[in-house]
Amino acid sequence: MLTLFSFFRLWLLPACVLLWSGMAAAADYVVIVSARSPVTALRAEQVAAIFLAQTGYFPGGEEAVALDLPVGSPLRDAFYYKVAARSPALMKAYWTKMVFTGRGQPPRELPSSAAVRRMVADNPAMIAYIDRSALDASVKAIQVTP
Amino acid sequence: MNANFSPLRAAMAAVTVLSCCAALAGEAVDGDLPRLAVGGFGTLGVVHSSDEQSDFTASTLMPGGAGYSRRWSPAVDSRLGVQLGMNMGSRWSAVLQLVSERTLNNGYAPMVEWAYVQHRLTPDLSLRVGRIALPLFLTGDYRKAGYALPWVRPPVELYSAIPLSSSDGVDASYRWHLGDVHNVTQALVGRTDLSLMPGASAQARRLAGVSNTTTAGALTVRASALTAELSVDVARSLFDGLRQFGAQGQALVERYELSARRASVVSLGFSFDPGQWFAMGEIGRMKTHSYLGDKTTGYLSTGYRHGDLAPYLVYSFSHADTQTRVPGLELAGLPPQQAAAGAALNAGLNQLLAAVARQHSVSAGVRWDFCPNYALKLQAGRYTPQEGSTGTFINVQPGFRSGRPITVLSAALDFVF
Repeated sequence: MLTLFSFFRLWLLPACVLLWSGMAAAADYVVIVSARSPVTALRAEQVAAIFLAQTGYFPGGEEAVALDLPVGSPLRDAFYYKVAARSPALMKAYWTKMVFTGRGQPPRELPSSAAVRRMVADNPAMIAYIDRSALDASVKAIQVTP
Repeated sequence: MNANFSPLRAAMAAVTVLSCCAALAGEAVDGDLPRLAVGGFGTLGVVHSSDEQSDFTASTLMPGGAGYSRRWSPAVDSRLGVQLGMNMGSRWSAVLQLVSERTLNNGYAPMVEWAYVQHRLTPDLSLRVGRIALPLFLTGDYRKAGYALPWVRPPVELYSAIPLSSSDGVDASYRWHLGDVHNVTQALVGRTDLSLMPGASAQARRLAGVSNTTTAGALTVRASALTAELSVDVARSLFDGLRQFGAQGQALVERYELSARRASVVSLGFSFDPGQWFAMGEIGRMKTHSYLGDKTTGYLSTGYRHGDLAPYLVYSFSHADTQTRVPGLELAGLPPQQAAAGAALNAGLNQLLAAVARQHSVSAGVRWDFCPNYALKLQAGRYTPQEGSTGTFINVQPGFRSGRPITVLSAALDFVF
C-alpha cells in the first residue's frame, strides 16, 4: 500500500502536472478586451471573478461581460485551469451550482476565436480569451498577472 | 410541496407568468428576443443499510426506505429535475424548476421546486418573486443537484435537520465587493406548506431569512439565519391525549407541541477549494421550542482530486441541546386505567423525543468524473445514533438498538443536461 502510494506521489502526480502544463502550452491563448477599453492588466483572480459571475465589473468600476469558447475547446480548458484552477468537470459542477440556484448564468459562448474577437472589438465592456494567432488591432491583449 | 398543490396547475401558472413577462419584456427592454434555456439534473442511486429495524433517509420528507423496508433502496437519492429559464433582455428573467423524487405521499409525482420571476434593478441588485430556494446552509439551495456536490448527498445530520428547500415569497440579493472579496447578501420573506403524509402537514409562516456568501479566491464562507413560525401536526393524537391530564398534561403540551412555534436556525459554513484538493465544514444550531428539540449539528469534510477521481472523507454529528428522555406525566395516585393511558402517552412522547438526533457518522467515498456531465459516486458511511436516540433514521421498529453503528452503502450516478 505504501509503495503504491509512493509510486503515485513520485510518478503519477508529476505526470499529471506535466500533462496539464503540456495542455496549457499546446493551447496558447491571450486575454483580450476591446481596443477602446481602458483596461491593460488584471490579476488572474480578477479575471476569474468576472468569468465565474462573481462580479459584473472591472476593478476600475466599468461594466464587465465575459465571453466563452465552446465546451470542449482546448483553449477554454487551458484558460480555466490557469485562471480558476478548475478542470472542465469542476467548471461544470460550478455552473450547475450557479444555474440551478438562479445565482448566475455562464458567459455567452461563441463558436471561434475570430467570432469572439469581432464581438469584443465592438464592445468595451467585453472580455474574452482567444487563440494568440487570432489577435489583431481591433482588440487589445491584456496582461494577466498571477 | 403543498398537500393541496396541484403541480400541473402550478406549472401552468408559472408558464403563464413566464409568457406575461415575455410580453412585458418585449416592449420594456432593448428589443432582444426572449431566450429560453432548458436544463436539468438527475441522480440514479441505490442505498443499502445494515440495520433492518429502521430506514435510512436523506430527508425527513422522503421515505428513504433502505434497511427495514428494502435491502437496497433507489428512493433515497434518485431524482430528476428540469429547469426552464427565460431571459427577457438583460433585466427580466423567469425560472421554473420541477423536481421528481420519492416523497412521503405522492410517489415520484413532479413538484414545483422553484417558480419565480427575477428583476435585475442594477447589475448587482436583483429582486425575485415566487417560489424561491432557501439560502440555508452552504449547499442548501443546490443540494438536489447531486452533480454539484462532492459527495453522494450532503451530510444528513445537518441537512435533514431542516428539510425545507424553498419558500413562497420575495427575496432581494445584492452583490458587493471589497477589493477582491466578493459578497452576495440575500434577504427573504415568505411562507411554505409541506405535506408530510396523508392527513399530516407542516406549515412555516412568517418566514424570514438572511444569508451572506463571501468568496475570496479559493475560499467561500456563508453565514445564514432563518426564522419561521412552524406548525407540524404529526402527533395530534398524543397531544390531544395529554390535554386530558389537567394542568400537568397542559404543561407538557405547551412545552412540546409544535403549533405556531417560533423556530430558528443559524449556520456558518466554509469551503476551501484551490483545485487539487478541497475542505468544507459547517456548523448549524436550531431551536424549535418543541418536540423537534434544539440541536447543534455540523460536519467537516476533505477530498483530494487526482485526474477524474476525487476521494473524500466526511465526519458529521448532531448533538441534542435539550433533554430527549423525560419523565412525562406523574402517574402516581391515578386510577389504574388512567395511569395505563398516561404511561402510553409518556412512551409516545419519549418516542418522539428519541427522534431528536444524537448521532455521529464517518463516511468515505469517491467521485469519478468518467465522462463530461456524468459523475459516479460510491460512498460508505458508519452512522451511530447514541444515548437512546434513533438518530436520523426513520420508520424505526421496536427491535432498534441505539448506540450500535449502522453501515450505509451508497452508489449514485449524477448527471446534468
